[in-house]
Amino acid sequence: MAFFRKRQENAQASSFNPDADPYAVLENVGLEMTGHQVLQDISLKLSERRIGIVGLNGSGKSSLIRLLNGLRLPTSGDVRVFGADTKTVQRDLPRYVGFVFQNPDHQAIFPTVEEEIAFGLTQLGASKTEAVSGARVFLERHGCAHLGPKPFADLSEGQKQLICILAVLVMKPKLLVLDEPMSSLDGLATRRIQNLIAALDQRIIMISHDLSLLTSYDRVLWMEGGRLRMDGSPQDVLPAYEADISARADIPVDGDAF
Amino acid sequence: MISLYLPGASWCHRLPARLKLILLAVVSMAVFPVQDFWILSALLALTLLAYSSLGKGGLQQVKALRPMGAMLAIIFLLHAVTGDWREGVVTIERLTALILLANLVTITTRMDDMMEAVMPLFAPLSWLGLSPRKPALAVTLVLRFAPVLLSVYSSLREAYQSRSGKRTSWRLMGPFMLQALAMADNVAEALTARGGAEGFGARDTSVLPVRN
Repeated sequence: MAFFRKRQENAQASSFNPDADPYAVLENVGLEMTGHQVLQDISLKLSERRIGIVGLNGSGKSSLIRLLNGLRLPTSGDVRVFGADTKTVQRDLPRYVGFVFQNPDHQAIFPTVEEEIAFGLTQLGASKTEAVSGARVFLERHGCAHLGPKPFADLSEGQKQLICILAVLVMKPKLLVLDEPMSSLDGLATRRIQNLIAALDQRIIMISHDLSLLTSYDRVLWMEGGRLRMDGSPQDVLPAYEADISARADIPVDGDAF
Repeated sequence: MISLYLPGASWCHRLPARLKLILLAVVSMAVFPVQDFWILSALLALTLLAYSSLGKGGLQQVKALRPMGAMLAIIFLLHAVTGDWREGVVTIERLTALILLANLVTITTRMDDMMEAVMPLFAPLSWLGLSPRKPALAVTLVLRFAPVLLSVYSSLREAYQSRSGKRTSWRLMGPFMLQALAMADNVAEALTARGGAEGFGARDTSVLPVRN
């Protein structure tokens, strides 16, 4: 019956406090999906401007950051973002928390670049003409005016990810959450996106397998088996994580690899 | 149907989408009773002229006819066998001109302009409590993902060929469907991450980028 539900005016929007410090609080959070315990016993207070997340595939990194913009709701415990419980503000959360996906092809919704950027503005109530001219100005400001009329499918991998990030930034989120945004990019594109992200005013939470991208961050979380294994400065966490990987990298002669 | 929009700024790109659609409807109806070879030839010539006026690569867009070739040939043969071949020629001329004109509208109209133009047709949906934005979004998604699905299929085919030596098989349909469904999940998530199909309730123009 969700089809027939009228869009409710967002009465809860006022409960957001964009200046909340810490901006995200997780209390005893657990997440169960299709019978699997994906996350458990996670308690965190996030207030740093730049937070990195590391961990092996399947360790719960992606689920953890999906809790922050309401793509997932915790099955136990509470998540509060900008002072509001994500369970009650789920639909309005994307206004404040932008999300960049790992694969740009999974994120882009529209055939052309300009439409992709304009979408965020129409989501916030802009008329079509306002949105299109706004999108043009925004693209121009980021040196991408020439990409505007192009079909998204024709862009290079780096351009695609750049447009995906801009499509989120145009909505002026207070927090930007990125799920391995560089994993499909070549060296040059990685550096460009890295510089773009570094220059942003927004608070950033980014998952990365490329540890060098996180060395200048304020804090790094290490996820393992759905739990927080280590939490601290990149100088402490990154070497420990790397050492752990090295110790486990040799495939045993007998016994179970992987 | 895949290479739809031809980026450009020709006169035809600048015409309002609604006007183009109405002109197309009027011409289509007007042309139907016409049986005169010369009038239809003139229309066809004008259409081709319009294509060439689109600028570089304009005339190439006539390639949209290619998939229709077999059908046109069958129609012509039917006429030739059962009646008058000249009638066949006239019918082919008429169909070709109309297909080309419709394609001309398609390739010179951005998808969002097109949706904006036909949005009033979806208005009755709001009586049912459905947002008219939804069907518009659905059409947009088809256009966005048609090329992506094609590339998914071609990588499946490559993976199959690299280990079987055969070019393709009906067996690829299963995995292809699964991948398409997984992709649908991803898009749904992406849409949710930016506020869902209906957007946020409140209007917030403070985010609008303005030229400074």
